[in-house]
Amino acid sequence: MTTLASERPAERPARRITLRTASPRAPRSDRRAGLLLSSPFLVIYLLFMIGPLLVGVVVSFFNTTTVKSGLGGWVGLSNYKAVCEDSLFWSAMWHSVLFTLITTPLLVVLALAFAILASRIRHGTVFYRLAFFAPYVVPSSVVALIFLWMYTPQVGLIPKIFDAVGLTPPDFIGTTSGGWTAVVLMTLWWTFGFNFVLYTAAIQDVPPEVYEAAAIDGASPWQQIRFVTVPLLGRTTSLVLILQILASLKVFDQIYLLLGGGPNQSTRPVIEYIYDTGFTSYRGGYGAAATMVYFVIIVAISAVWYVLRQHRTAAAERPAPRPERRTS
Amino acid sequence: MSGALARRRFLALGGGLALSGGLTACASPLATGLSGAQPDTADVIYWNLFTGGDGANMVLMEDAFRKAHPGLSVEATILGWGNPYYTKLALATASGTPPDVGIAHLSRLPLLAAAGLLEPVEDAGVGELGITADKFTPAAWHKATVGGTVYAVPLDTHPFVLFSHTDLARKAGLLDATGAGLKPMKDGAAFTDALKAMKDAGAQYGAVMSTTADPATCWRYFSMIYSGIAGPVVTDSGTRIAVDDDAAESTFAFMQSLTAGGLMPKSLTGSGVNALFSTGKAGFLFDGEWQIPTYRAVKGFHFNVTPFPALLGPKPVAYADSHSLVIPRSGKRSAARTAHAALFIRSLLDNSATWAHGGHVPAWLSTQRSKAFLDQSPQRNYVQAAFNAVYDPVAWYTGAGSDFQNTVGATVIEVIAGQIKPKAAVAQLRSDLKRYTTARPPVTIG
Amino acid sequence: MTTLAPVRGRAQAPAATADGGNGAKLFNRLCVVCLTLFALIWLVPFVWALITSLRSDGSITEKPTSPFAGGWSFHAYSYAWDNYPLGYWYLNSLVIATLAVLFTVAFCSMAGFALALLQFPGRNVVMALVVAGLMLPTEALVLPQFVEYRSLHLLGTYWALVLPSVAAPVSVFVFHAFFRGIPTPLIEAARLDGASWWRIYWSVCLPISRPAVATVAILTFISSWNAFLWPLLVLSQTKSQTVPVGLSSLVNPSNIQYAEVMASSVLGFLPLIAVFLVFQRQIVQGVATTGLK
Repeated sequence: MTTLASERPAERPARRITLRTASPRAPRSDRRAGLLLSSPFLVIYLLFMIGPLLVGVVVSFFNTTTVKSGLGGWVGLSNYKAVCEDSLFWSAMWHSVLFTLITTPLLVVLALAFAILASRIRHGTVFYRLAFFAPYVVPSSVVALIFLWMYTPQVGLIPKIFDAVGLTPPDFIGTTSGGWTAVVLMTLWWTFGFNFVLYTAAIQDVPPEVYEAAAIDGASPWQQIRFVTVPLLGRTTSLVLILQILASLKVFDQIYLLLGGGPNQSTRPVIEYIYDTGFTSYRGGYGAAATMVYFVIIVAISAVWYVLRQHRTAAAERPAPRPERRTS
Repeated sequence: MSGALARRRFLALGGGLALSGGLTACASPLATGLSGAQPDTADVIYWNLFTGGDGANMVLMEDAFRKAHPGLSVEATILGWGNPYYTKLALATASGTPPDVGIAHLSRLPLLAAAGLLEPVEDAGVGELGITADKFTPAAWHKATVGGTVYAVPLDTHPFVLFSHTDLARKAGLLDATGAGLKPMKDGAAFTDALKAMKDAGAQYGAVMSTTADPATCWRYFSMIYSGIAGPVVTDSGTRIAVDDDAAESTFAFMQSLTAGGLMPKSLTGSGVNALFSTGKAGFLFDGEWQIPTYRAVKGFHFNVTPFPALLGPKPVAYADSHSLVIPRSGKRSAARTAHAALFIRSLLDNSATWAHGGHVPAWLSTQRSKAFLDQSPQRNYVQAAFNAVYDPVAWYTGAGSDFQNTVGATVIEVIAGQIKPKAAVAQLRSDLKRYTTARPPVTIG
Repeated sequence: MTTLAPVRGRAQAPAATADGGNGAKLFNRLCVVCLTLFALIWLVPFVWALITSLRSDGSITEKPTSPFAGGWSFHAYSYAWDNYPLGYWYLNSLVIATLAVLFTVAFCSMAGFALALLQFPGRNVVMALVVAGLMLPTEALVLPQFVEYRSLHLLGTYWALVLPSVAAPVSVFVFHAFFRGIPTPLIEAARLDGASWWRIYWSVCLPISRPAVATVAILTFISSWNAFLWPLLVLSQTKSQTVPVGLSSLVNPSNIQYAEVMASSVLGFLPLIAVFLVFQRQIVQGVATTGLK
């Protein structure tokens, strides 16, 4: 718990400011130490974080062969043109979006609901945390192995459960709709704990006085949740939502392992499209162009969210002066 | 638990791990992981994609090598069939840590060779071990040559063949005088009559083949019929569509003539095929010879396998592919390792009669003519198919398990199901091919 | 420990204050039932994998849902251990994760220290770069990453997996936030004693930053151990693979060696579950703090 408190940067803002303003021009030793201490990270960061981005931009203008050294011939914008005209790229894009559209609401709403339930329980919170979060620390291929076994027709646990309640189990691996069901269930089990933990932490930050006040006012548990907890979690929800959307758009492991993007590429996500063109067909330049198009879309989504949040925070911080100004 | 305690426990754990790491630090994958050198976990590192019966036969052949060369160790790894295998092979080679010997379908060879991923086999000294052009099925050796250089040693030819139900064929009067083979059929009409005769002999269908979600089988079927009357569907290393519209249309029409008359089902799954053919409800089966072990496992079931007769053209054509042995390129491989790789390849060829149990026709002529192979029936009946073999067209996107086969095969599935008229199917075939011919090739072949 | 109690108290607050009414009691009891039910469902896959791994394939196919039919044995485990190079996979994963943790903690704490406490030219630029890095979807960049690593001849080595993990800016943030919280007098006193910045970093700040080190170390370890796509591309030799990539070669719908595959899965998840059980509080808090930033 010590980490939770001490890692909050806003805890001691005043003191920091005094230190900084005391020395308007930093001494030489400061400058040298600062550069020396940050340089190992900075070098690796620039080389291996920013580097691939630049390499990607460059390669996307060439006909690079992924498995061969050298850039290959200059092809201008034609890789981008080909990517944008390829219906398979856009259907792969759609599969990633579809996955996001199905899983995000489930993962966010369920996590919120369970975190609220957990917050009302006195004992055994550790047990719930363990049960829900443990899958998150397990590698995707292990999760895929376990779920593939549970989905196995005739002998798997899940088809057996379907049989037991008198339903026909879908063909989890052989059909598109069954495949999506399989992937969504597995994802739900695997990553649900992450959002659960984020919400649990946020609920712990709600001051108890708020509930006391609500209880004194005679609010029922449901009303407390509806009118106190949920509205206070607005900011967390916005964060959980964007983290979830970004993570879901990057889906690869589950679909690749469980379905291989099949049947007949009908579930192939965009990362697997890049994998197929770039690594299986060695079309490095083309794959890089597809990467860049996808990259721009992801960055645009994060940027929109960031701007929206800044806007909303700004609006929330001065709610009072505005109407005044308007009336005057 | 306090932070301090947690940290102490973590350090203890880390210490334990470091100790166990230290004990095994001499294991070479660890050292090569740090230095990037090629791992040296065995004298011959061999990758293949065989499971099931083929996998078991391959293990026997590896054991035969170990027995013949007691001083040499072999580490064999089986990877997922199709794209996963080829992607891994390419990435490992690009990473500088390839296996010493790998299996490759000859249909996938052009891209591998043109991307510089393979060592010319003659540079590896296989010639000194007697592995030369004159000792192989010519079609296979020819396909192993890309741009004048030989990049692979063919192990087998595995054609698309005609399975027949022996009892039904006898009842239908299709057996020849010896009773071991089928009476010759001279053209498509005679073939259609044979299917009718099978149906009249009591089968539910004259013939069956797997179509549902099986584009590869459908592509093989199309390619075989079409190749009887026209050349490859793409030329110039895959950059030009060369479809003969009339030939393609009559191929599609022929397929539909069989399904429309009820001689063949319009769609059938792989397990459906299995059930119908093995229970005498279908007279013929169109499939690869690698299905032989499957049907041999059915007790009391008698069947024969023969090459397809000429269907639309004047001469019989066999759609086929070959497994071959390649030596992935590595700048770090020592001369000794390369020599071991060549020895291993030669040993697999010498033992390819074992391989033939899986249905494949050995490409190594001395095995093909050996008693060990000629005693194998029905394998010996379709050796001719290996000589009439037509492979996938040369291009960077064709070959076993490729998207190309899936895309074109999907159109053939629609044709067989009767969902699309032959003329429209030709247009669709052209648009399928256009996706590939207009894409910029990652390498120049030839 | 000091902050633990108040936080716990807060978490219980709603339940405690709502105890007044009968309805509230009933509601809370409903919560317990509902939550426990779901938590048990969440444990089913683990338990099912464990049970399957202890059975024989024959009895699994015959009576898939009667775990007690056919007797239990460890045969599947010895089979899995003999047939897959699990030992090598563990070793690779362990070395990679350990190296990643060491370098990440060292380099990122130094950078976090410099950014939090030192004035130096370009500090704002570095800070902006690091913030921007948080938004980069690195998983999407595997193709250009591969091209770059290929030209640097790093493919096929452990370093190809260690370096991207060190370059992740989130660890710098954790340290940055922590060092900013260190009381200024402590540092000023050390400065007056004539200590160099390196000394302050090494002997003053680092020793008291255990929580931050633990957070970064554990999260780096887990994410490095669990990485899939990048190791799949980079380490191709059978015995050079990591546990997740090695185990992924067993994912095959037509594989009917259920017990053997589940035994491998159990061996795949057990070490992580063990690490998780030991460090669960740190892990959960690490996720919460880094996620909520």
